Amino acid sequence: MPTSLQVTFLLTLIVSSKPIECGIVRNNNSSSWKKLAKESTTIDVGESSTMTKSRSHVVADDKKKSFVSATTRGGYKRGLAIFDFLLRLAAIVTTITASSVMYTAEETLPFFTQFLQFQAGYDDFATFQFFVIAIAIVASYLVLSLPFSIVTIVRPLSTLPRLILLISDTVVVTLTTSATAATTAIVYLAHNGNPNANWLPICQQFGDFCQATSSAVVAASIGIVFFILLIIISAIALKRH
Amino acid sequence: MKNESTFIDVPADSSSAMKGKAPLIGVAKDHTASGSGGYNRGLSVFDFLLRLAAIVAASVAAGTMFTSDETLPFFTQFLQFQAGYDDLPTFQFFVIAMSLVSGYIVLSLPISVVAIVRPLAAAPRLLLLVLDTAVMGLTMAAASSAAAISYVAHNGNQNTNWLPICQQFGDFCQKTSGAVVSSFVAVVFFMILVVLSGVALKRH
Repeated sequence: MPTSLQVTFLLTLIVSSKPIECGIVRNNNSSSWKKLAKESTTIDVGESSTMTKSRSHVVADDKKKSFVSATTRGGYKRGLAIFDFLLRLAAIVTTITASSVMYTAEETLPFFTQFLQFQAGYDDFATFQFFVIAIAIVASYLVLSLPFSIVTIVRPLSTLPRLILLISDTVVVTLTTSATAATTAIVYLAHNGNPNANWLPICQQFGDFCQATSSAVVAASIGIVFFILLIIISAIALKRH
Repeated sequence: MKNESTFIDVPADSSSAMKGKAPLIGVAKDHTASGSGGYNRGLSVFDFLLRLAAIVAASVAAGTMFTSDETLPFFTQFLQFQAGYDDLPTFQFFVIAMSLVSGYIVLSLPISVVAIVRPLAAAPRLLLLVLDTAVMGLTMAAASSAAAISYVAHNGNQNTNWLPICQQFGDFCQKTSGAVVSSFVAVVFFMILVVLSGVALKRH
């Protein structure tokens, strides 16, 4: 009898795929076992324990998977947020450069008549005035938007700061593009003139002034490229949700 | 003892119980998805209508500038005073840019329709957002450079001795100013489109 018990126990170990801790095989049809029926106990612990264990195992797997995917998504977005912050710093530098170069773009020609000295400055052109003021506003906006960018780094999964940054960046890139394009038109006119309207190119006389204004326009254009990258980054970070 | 039949209590019910548990999670997910899908679909329809309006604005701007020729009634023996958009390179850039912009909006209408049909797909919206931002920059550049030239044409510049030509070419100046205003309206439409795409991407 002890050998048959051992054999059946071995059989159950081989046949069952899941580990049964306390499952005990019952041998019903043997008459000799009926004497031991009262003493034998059947413990159906294996069923419920494995069921709960497997179910909880599945739930734990799901939780772990979602947690892991959340941290990886959060890590990806955090990388985008850091890149966003660095781009903002670069855009601050370029816009402040553009505004200050245009502001200090003065030139006084060495020759003068009795009543008149030939000067050129940014305030001789309404468009240049608009450029200086608009780019200065854009630079201060960028400085004020740095805290929002830091919030997106600290909380990579929240979408509201990113949406605010996207909307305000769109408005500001429109303003920057407007100022840069208008100034480009005037600078082009200053370089080439227009024979049909009899507008003479002034860059022939004011060489330094033209150079300074052109560099300001180029710096503002680089700022626009940075802004477009910022908008794209915000959009991608909003998307991966 | 001689009978070797055995009963093995393999927990066969657990797999079915697990299977029974799974659909509950799936049903819950579907419910939340359909709720935000309706809102996104409304945003997509509004996006489509705005695009139609932007087509009108952009093509009106390009057309008005293109046909803004004026010939003055007086002329000298060798010279007739004419003004057209091709006398100013900035206005040439304006016409070409606004034509490109109207062509782009027409081509982006199918993508907008896809966003209506599949309100929860993020790829069409992201594509539209990126393209709309770039084209908005182009439109704004054309509009503001034409505005700067129109300003000089209206007011002149005393420091550089640029005379205002609008004193003679009144109709030409009127038409070009109208074209500039229409292109600024198109820019406003584009800004709203970009913000719409951003909000729809957020509600995902």
